[in-house]
Amino acid sequence: MTLEKIVRRIPSSSWEVTSERLIDIVLNSKHANKMPSGLAKTILYYWQRDQLASEIGLQRLLEASLHIDPEKTVEALKELGLQELVTLLESH
Amino acid sequence: MTAFAIEFVPRDLYWKTTFYAIQAEKTGFNTLWITDHFNNRNVYVSLAIISAYTDKIRLGPGVTNPYLIHPIVTGQAVSTLNEIAPGRVVCGIGAGDRTTLHMVDVQPSKPLSTIRESVEIIRGISSGRKMKMEGKIFTVLGGKLNFKVETKIPIFIGAQGPKMLALAAEIGDGVLINASHPKDVERAMMFIEKGVIKAEKKLEDLDIAAYTSFSVANKLEDAAKAVKPVVAYIVAGCPESILGKHGISMETATKIRQAIVQSNWKDAFSYITEEMVEAFSICGTPEMVVEKISRLVKVGTTQIVVGSPIGPNIRKSINTIAAEVFPHFMSKEGIEGD
Repeated sequence: MTLEKIVRRIPSSSWEVTSERLIDIVLNSKHANKMPSGLAKTILYYWQRDQLASEIGLQRLLEASLHIDPEKTVEALKELGLQELVTLLESH
Repeated sequence: MTAFAIEFVPRDLYWKTTFYAIQAEKTGFNTLWITDHFNNRNVYVSLAIISAYTDKIRLGPGVTNPYLIHPIVTGQAVSTLNEIAPGRVVCGIGAGDRTTLHMVDVQPSKPLSTIRESVEIIRGISSGRKMKMEGKIFTVLGGKLNFKVETKIPIFIGAQGPKMLALAAEIGDGVLINASHPKDVERAMMFIEKGVIKAEKKLEDLDIAAYTSFSVANKLEDAAKAVKPVVAYIVAGCPESILGKHGISMETATKIRQAIVQSNWKDAFSYITEEMVEAFSICGTPEMVVEKISRLVKVGTTQIVVGSPIGPNIRKSINTIAAEVFPHFMSKEGIEGD
């Protein structure tokens, strides 16, 4: 299953809080230097347009977060009650 | 009316600084300063990318220095930036940070003449004039940009000592007072007034900024922990006259400077006391920083620069400032520049 389809499983009521958690992981990770520059620019583009809590913004944030710190990302998703996403990601 | 500016040190990855810059614009800061030290990411590369992702916040080097970067190059750089961010560019210049200049064996000699001539060159070249000057420090035999700069670029001068403060007020569009304590700003205002009188201009025409080291968090100890490294750098580079006013010996400042030069951070930070934090930063809970900013506003500052480290978590601290500090300084129309 693609990341796009996985993100669609996040209920829209959780978009904001999920976005906040993923942004924290991306900004505060010790492995932030692993962020691909192209992806960073895409995230900045959506941030400027207030779209990091939209479906497309979440896709890119999740991609970045998984790239930089997969363990913390999975931990955060579990804490947010998004166990289904974790299962899907593990089989991704 | 009080305007709020923010300073970022491009020590972080470029996209993180840009992320925070976008956040600063969204939350209502009106100016963004990027520091210029050779050992961090380049100031103009950082400003160029921030310009591309922002639309209204003013931005510029804060501050560059003419010892490592020739003012003709600074003039060219801010003029180019003005093409990316038309009408939003400001230029901060000062005599440089002694600690980092020392690392490359550069002496900031004759700072007053150097800054006076630098401002003349930057202002001249960025306003499209053909520059021809023979100064005490710089000679330009006929430089002119091959492109037009559409809007005026205000020049702010970073200053701390009496003569530099007076010069900054005399020739600058703004003064960046390198101070966080109301006593230091109040003292600075005396010299600024002298400069204004010399230039026969009005004090109200001058943007007077307190360039503070700032740290806000919900717990005082978290804010203090974040600010100590910055205070160490400030004490290390501070003139003896100002250290003395806060009861800090030159000997202690020298020890801190030596530790920093040797990258011995643990030692450098161990010298930092609560009194030093109080003297050289705005640090504390939201209520505490509101009280400290109010005192700076009372003594005449028109712009508060929220400088490094901003807080233990930059993103959270920016949101805290917007939610819990700005409302105390808002007019009906919002904070200036919002």
